[in-house]
Amino acid sequence: MKVGIVGVGFMGATHAAAWAETPAVIGGFVAETAPEAQRLAANYGARVYPDLAALIADVDVVDICTPTHLHHPMALQAAAAGKHIVCEKPLARTVAQGQAMIAACRQAGVKLLVAHVVRFFPEYALARRMVANGDIGRPAVIRLARGSFRPKKPVGNWFLDFEKSGGMMLDLMIHDFDYARWVAGEVESVLAKSVGHLRPGAAIDYGMAILTHVSGALSHVAGAWAYPPPTFRTRLEIAGEAGLIEFDSDAAAPIQMLLQKASGESPDVGLPASPLSESPYTTQIKEFYAALTEDRPARVSAEDGLAAVRIALAAIESARTGKAVRVAEVTQ
Amino acid sequence: MKIGLLSFAHLHAEAYIQNLRALPGVEMIGLADEDRERGQRFAAQFDARLFDSYAALLAEKPDGVVVCSENNKHRPLVEMAASAGVHVLSEKPLATTLEDARAMIEACDRAGVKLMTAFPMRFSTPLLEVKAQLDAGSLGQVYCFNATNQGGLPKRHRAWFVDKELAGGGAVMDHTVHLADIMRWYLNSEVVEVYAQTNRIFYAEEVDVETGGLLMLTFANGVFASIDCSWSKPPYYPTWGGLTFEMVTERGAVLVDAFKQNLTIYRHDLKRPVWGHWGSDANQAMLADFVAAIRDDRPPRVSGMDGYRAVEVALAAYQSAATGQPVRLS
Repeated sequence: MKVGIVGVGFMGATHAAAWAETPAVIGGFVAETAPEAQRLAANYGARVYPDLAALIADVDVVDICTPTHLHHPMALQAAAAGKHIVCEKPLARTVAQGQAMIAACRQAGVKLLVAHVVRFFPEYALARRMVANGDIGRPAVIRLARGSFRPKKPVGNWFLDFEKSGGMMLDLMIHDFDYARWVAGEVESVLAKSVGHLRPGAAIDYGMAILTHVSGALSHVAGAWAYPPPTFRTRLEIAGEAGLIEFDSDAAAPIQMLLQKASGESPDVGLPASPLSESPYTTQIKEFYAALTEDRPARVSAEDGLAAVRIALAAIESARTGKAVRVAEVTQ
Repeated sequence: MKIGLLSFAHLHAEAYIQNLRALPGVEMIGLADEDRERGQRFAAQFDARLFDSYAALLAEKPDGVVVCSENNKHRPLVEMAASAGVHVLSEKPLATTLEDARAMIEACDRAGVKLMTAFPMRFSTPLLEVKAQLDAGSLGQVYCFNATNQGGLPKRHRAWFVDKELAGGGAVMDHTVHLADIMRWYLNSEVVEVYAQTNRIFYAEEVDVETGGLLMLTFANGVFASIDCSWSKPPYYPTWGGLTFEMVTERGAVLVDAFKQNLTIYRHDLKRPVWGHWGSDANQAMLADFVAAIRDDRPPRVSGMDGYRAVEVALAAYQSAATGQPVRLS
């Protein structure tokens, strides 16, 4: 099985490292930033394709690690050529785009795997398994938080272009929207607020959403592009009728570096850091590899990816209008 | 200065009686309780004088009283104290209806006595430190709060806490008012809109009030704030619960955990870790302010109107939870 990776930003490079841990062959890369593509290609003994069409023609699986607004046209192009797709989250910029992607893949008979990597982080996977196992009874109030600094990009920072990324709620909070739904089931309504909507000129962003699940459970989701680099922190609290699960990445950090600062260098994107025998990104790609080669479902489906987009867009709509929004009514 | 306690319905009375005794120049004259058995029990436990009635205690002409009755009985006791010309510190929430809260404020105004609402978090040293830095301008402009005031099921201490009539509601009435008050204090701005969702999944078989709740407040100055008021801490949690908030400003975020100053203690006999709080006692500082306000004839640092505003937020939350949409405050 040959994989082609589209986009060589942080996520493209991370996926490449993960694919290298599977029996799949990395055919090559295509990207706007040629030097980085050359570097990755050299690293994995792979090619740099002149364009997406050339990549698609040469591989079995197209791994889309490009800015959010490009997922839809690229996935349609890959599906039309009968190639399987791995797509970075969010599945798409709009619900309509996500629906079109799913329909195209179904019609072409190819798989569409959405990289909601949080489901593969061992702490999140364990907590969800415990809930599913009934260890803490029915979930009642869930609190999820994820925070870092505003993503940087050497050129054309698409993260900060709402039309391209959907902003912090679609790019970052979607992780926990997906997780909340995975733990407590379908979401009926959302009320959200964000600094980005209320103070467009602010240098930071912070958003909060209250989700009401069909099950009666409530979730509080907070997302921050507000902390100084290189901060990345996540928190989880699942309170059930028969117990409570807590996780705080700061409290659970097995290593703290109290070293004198050498320079002010910081990475482009904040990343969770907890030493593990296998990166959650690798766990994810290995599961995707198995899904593709053994024809069985991964723990996250394209429909899950679409549902998460719908919740995030409901949150954005709520933050814009000030009203609670019914998720089922989000169609755009 | 003489101070008495009216009712031991609220468990905080057990702390306040000791706080009062620790205050220099204060004579804790004793307590009265309409529940005779309860009054006798606590009078014996704290070796305090038990008066036959609230009127009998007030006849002793104390300078001030602390009202720790069930929430919906604050009003008659506060009115009684006001008529007797006695200053009052009332347990929170000030009342279970705005009508009662207003009547209490008016009764104290008419009688020329002070009415203080028991919001001890205004005297929490970590919270005071943040307030000082905020006022000094070193934290920048506030954008929002992500706050929690969670606890266990208070029924384990006092049954009336889960009685809709006596308590005025469940988790929302119990745990919204502290944070609403802290935010009003920090921001010098009033809540203009409230959204809330509640459920009853914890202890669904035991109680008929809401045990889970999430609120989103909007202030007149544009700041928004969520509050988790749930009774989500299990009975074997290392402590009763807690109060935390992340305050997001133009400069980033300040993380506050008001009760973080703890030892973690493992004891063979308890078979679970417990937290031993070594931080400063906010209740003690609150009672000291009440006493100083009487002594110096100045307003207490928390007013009856502060109590009113917090009740207004909690009641709006119930209204929002019933409709599923945000509610505007008039």
